[in-house]
Amino acid sequence: MQRGAIIPVQDTMLVRTHLSMGGTAAGRSLLRIARARSAAALALAAATIAFAAAPHAAAVRTDHVEAELVAAKDGLTPGVPAMLALRLKIEDGWHTYWRNPGDSGLPTTLEWKLPPGFTAGGIEWVPPKALPVGPLVNYGYEGEVLHLVTVTPPADLAPGANATLRARADWLVCKETCIPDGADVELTLPVVAGAAADSKAATALGAARAALPQPLTGWKASARGDGPRVELTLSPAAAASDPGAIRFFPYAEGRVEPSAPQTLVRNAHGDYVLTLPVASQLDGTFDRVAGVAVAANGFGNGGAAKAVEIDVPMAGTVTAGAKPKLDAPSLNTSAPAGAATMSLAAAVLLALVGGLVLNLMPCVLPVLSLKALSLAGSGHTDRRVLRVAGLAFALGVVATFVALAVALVALRAAGEQVGWGFQLQSPAVVASLAMLFFVLALNLSGVFEFATIFPGVAGWSLRNRYADAALSGVLAVVIASPCTAPFMGAALGFALSQTTAATLAVFVALGVGMALPFTLLSWFPGWRRALPRPGAWMERLKQLLAFPLYATVAWLAWVLGAQVDNDAVARLLATLVILAFALWAWRNARRGAAVALRVTALVAVAAALVVAWPLFRGDAMAEAAARSAATRDSGGWLAFAPARVEELTRAGRPVFVDFTAAWCVTCQVNKRLVLNRADVREAFARDKVALMRADWTRRDPAITRALAGLNRNGVPVYVLYRPGREPLLLPEVLQKQTVVDALATL
Amino acid sequence: MQIRSWLRGIAMVAGFCAAAAGAQTPGQAAPDFTLTDVLGKSVRLSDFKGKFVVLEWTNPDCPFVRNHYRTGNMQGLQKSARTDDVVWLTINSTNRSNGEYKTPAMMTEWIRTQNALPRSVLIDGESAVARQYAVKTTPQMVVVEPGGKVIYAGAIDDRPSTRPDDPPAAHNYVQAALKEGKSGVAVAKASTTPYGCSLKY
Repeated sequence: MQRGAIIPVQDTMLVRTHLSMGGTAAGRSLLRIARARSAAALALAAATIAFAAAPHAAAVRTDHVEAELVAAKDGLTPGVPAMLALRLKIEDGWHTYWRNPGDSGLPTTLEWKLPPGFTAGGIEWVPPKALPVGPLVNYGYEGEVLHLVTVTPPADLAPGANATLRARADWLVCKETCIPDGADVELTLPVVAGAAADSKAATALGAARAALPQPLTGWKASARGDGPRVELTLSPAAAASDPGAIRFFPYAEGRVEPSAPQTLVRNAHGDYVLTLPVASQLDGTFDRVAGVAVAANGFGNGGAAKAVEIDVPMAGTVTAGAKPKLDAPSLNTSAPAGAATMSLAAAVLLALVGGLVLNLMPCVLPVLSLKALSLAGSGHTDRRVLRVAGLAFALGVVATFVALAVALVALRAAGEQVGWGFQLQSPAVVASLAMLFFVLALNLSGVFEFATIFPGVAGWSLRNRYADAALSGVLAVVIASPCTAPFMGAALGFALSQTTAATLAVFVALGVGMALPFTLLSWFPGWRRALPRPGAWMERLKQLLAFPLYATVAWLAWVLGAQVDNDAVARLLATLVILAFALWAWRNARRGAAVALRVTALVAVAAALVVAWPLFRGDAMAEAAARSAATRDSGGWLAFAPARVEELTRAGRPVFVDFTAAWCVTCQVNKRLVLNRADVREAFARDKVALMRADWTRRDPAITRALAGLNRNGVPVYVLYRPGREPLLLPEVLQKQTVVDALATL
Repeated sequence: MQIRSWLRGIAMVAGFCAAAAGAQTPGQAAPDFTLTDVLGKSVRLSDFKGKFVVLEWTNPDCPFVRNHYRTGNMQGLQKSARTDDVVWLTINSTNRSNGEYKTPAMMTEWIRTQNALPRSVLIDGESAVARQYAVKTTPQMVVVEPGGKVIYAGAIDDRPSTRPDDPPAAHNYVQAALKEGKSGVAVAKASTTPYGCSLKY
């Protein structure tokens, strides 16, 4: 800590103090020193007056900061508020703090020692930056910052003299290490009768003043608490343009979790809804949302303010948020501008179309088309019964999608790092699905009939048509699940990064879309006439449709191989063979040696379960495989590590990250057709781009977190991290040209 | 209409689950951990069931931590913990890869020069326990009751500063939580925003 110049007022006080000490020798000698010092100070003051108008201030240098008191005008006018600022010039790599320091730190303070009659306001804070410190986030300043303060001289101040304004400034300056630091700063200004001229610092002060948070004019703000998050809704003024990425900085600590990503969506009304995760250490009453919102492109309210002040009451209630995951350096502060802006209406429409497309997926098409064809043969059934059954089917589909969404939202709220495709990240689920598809395919191939295996089922489903229809809906979603992950992972992942209501809306739309064709067919008998007449060809079609299911089994076996190892695939295939044998034995039990065959079938099923058992304990297997995979360097691609990305970009090297998974078909297509092309690889090499692959085949919290930082929740995602700039997101369907164009921005 | 109320029901259930899962540590079981102390002995939190336990996250390079030691404030709390049969565990979760990491020998020396009196000084070089407790700063404090539940988590006191005159004058949350916990009343301030240097993950 360094002290400022010796101050005459204190010297006078020193004199008085020591005079009161009485006539001791020590007192007298101190008195002499004090007198000498005040004489020097008087001489200095005289010199200042002699040189007249030039304001007198000295910058105080400490280890990492240079501090100075500056004013907008070169003089003080009695009774007229003067704009001053504490200017901190901070060494590169170090930072000081905003009024709310974020996860750690301490705000800068100013304590004024003013001449009598003067008053000073509090610090007017320019908007901070979110500064990542490891996995934590601080709110503060780098480089140069001006802390604005209004000082008002008394109206009866006599012009002609000088006034010295002094303050004690204290701040915490941190890099890796933190240093509490401070300085005594002072500024001497002449008192003038009229308006004073602008000072050298006037431009800088003007700029700082312009950067201050503005009132939110034209726009409307409202806030609603929703459990562990708060939705801050900003309704734009009529003429407002797209504000781009928005970040909210709360005034109070313990309200909003600093390191958790804030997500932005545009809803159907055109409002911007910013979701703020509630602090895990909720502190005090959170019933108002007060702070500063900063928009990348400004709020376009006339002055195009980049920062606006928000202070609105909050409806609803909040609960403490999930513990922040502090595993990896956060890349989340620099989510690409506007990346998350997608209107809810558009997302719902896309989901509806996506649901329709699901009917054509290889895993769903065989089952649903046969179900649709069965309607053609039911012309004589009561029309009302068919309609209700169609609705029951739709309800089954939608309810299952909603259940999946709820499960996912709950898991994520519990702090689990899961995203869409999570159902395929567990080897146990992949193996179960492979078995289910195999059995369905055998059924279509004619190896067995469900009615012969479970004689009760056929009768039950005839008696309970609606329940049967609803269960078909559930089954349809289950068999669709391996296809939603590869083809719709990214879209659903986006939905999951939104508010609960938005997530549910998207999933409901998806379900409605999927159920629509069948439900419409059951509703409009006229449409059914367009279906071909039933006949012997249906049996052949059924057998033919078994093959897409077999193909799905083959693909799931490959996914399992990528997740675990070759042994797991062998186990799965052995299980499938035994299952096929069991079904064959049971089916033939009607003829001849019935009991023996039935016993054989049951023994075979038991054997299948024994063989398959390790697959259901597959998470442990996957971890073992993950350990060996983590160190594997495949064809010049390094395993993804957020810390390494930061290190490389800091060293000036761009990094391209391929967020991928074995079960993601789009990912595989992009890899084969674009990323592995010789010319693309050459382009990467030319620009010295480090290549990293983030393999999300298995659950990986570090990858999920990095994805969330990019406002994504599924794969594929392609990102080019550029030194000193925001990361560049590439489209999900890659083309050679897009990669080349992205590299051209380096 | 029915479907809408049904959906709202689901949303509420989801919200409830989320709230229950997201609720912060006070009132919840303290995550168990095993760490090695500076003398090479293994220390497990659950071994202290039946006693009050204070977890103190420290970093000798942090001026906020130093302020509580140079004023004798931390040592005072540790001393009264000792007399009251409260287990005091000082944890350094500075990551091994960070420049501020201290070896067991360095920590032993520092504790000795500070005349500190914790039950054990634990080294968490992978910052794993800090992650378990979502620790953000040093100093940061957790108080666990004899049943193993967290009754306090957050700052050491209500004066975020590095000024020596603050710790003695501050309202000490840990002291208050221990007092309330021992007399069987609910802890008035069970969760606060921790202050200090960022934990070096």
